[in-house]
Amino acid sequence: MLLAITATVLAINTQAGRFMRFAVAGQSMSPALPGGAWVIVDRRAYLRRLPAPGEIVVVPDPRQPRRLLVKRVRSLEPGDAVWLEGDNALASTDSRTFGTVPASSILGRVRWRYAPWAGTVQ
Amino acid sequence: MDLFSRIFRPANVAHAHCDGPCGVYDPASARIAAEAVLSMEKKLAALGDGQDLASQNTRGRFIAIKEQQADLCKRELNILWNDYFKPEHLAAIPDLHDIFWQAAKLCSKNKTESNPENGEALLQAIEKIHNAYWKSKNRDVAFVRAS
Repeated sequence: MLLAITATVLAINTQAGRFMRFAVAGQSMSPALPGGAWVIVDRRAYLRRLPAPGEIVVVPDPRQPRRLLVKRVRSLEPGDAVWLEGDNALASTDSRTFGTVPASSILGRVRWRYAPWAGTVQ
Repeated sequence: MDLFSRIFRPANVAHAHCDGPCGVYDPASARIAAEAVLSMEKKLAALGDGQDLASQNTRGRFIAIKEQQADLCKRELNILWNDYFKPEHLAAIPDLHDIFWQAAKLCSKNKTESNPENGEALLQAIEKIHNAYWKSKNRDVAFVRAS
């Protein structure tokens, strides 16, 4: 019963609040995030600091803002511009194609994966 | 769907894609065009030098098809070179640009001349591209000819 309540609370809380759940589509972040992985994104990760190289973020595609991308921060450029790349360069469209994105456009940081197995996202 | 999936299935999707519009590439399309070029060159050689209207008409058709297919071959090669291959591939295939350049030059040579040796050379160049392409996908695919 307790488990069911916890699960329900978590399910609701991760839908609209600080944490959002995402399904990863595509293989450009494999093996860290294989296609089909379910992850939790912290939307407050960058309230007090800028994204750091190595962190995986969810960000709107600058060419098509309603489409969300998941990529890794490669570097920070002047003017709080973020250079993003997929882990699999050959299967990724990223800053090499569309350039940097503003740090302020980043939706949040991918912190945990909870399916197909659970873990902290590195 | 199990209970876990029903409760925790995310409502949002984050894309980790590469976004070629279809992403479907195969050097086979260039190979087929090159085979048509070689076939026309062989037919032209077999046709001889007859100057009667029928021979001239047939020769004209063969040349037109050779020209068209050599151009198509060049275009198919360019799609692979420009759209499929990325700078990262150069590490594993250092002579990539050179083999594409040679193949494109051979397409032109097949247009300006009418010699089956050029068609054969083009097919051999495409075989190199075939090997480079499938190597880049870590797949072992045999090079075959239709004719």
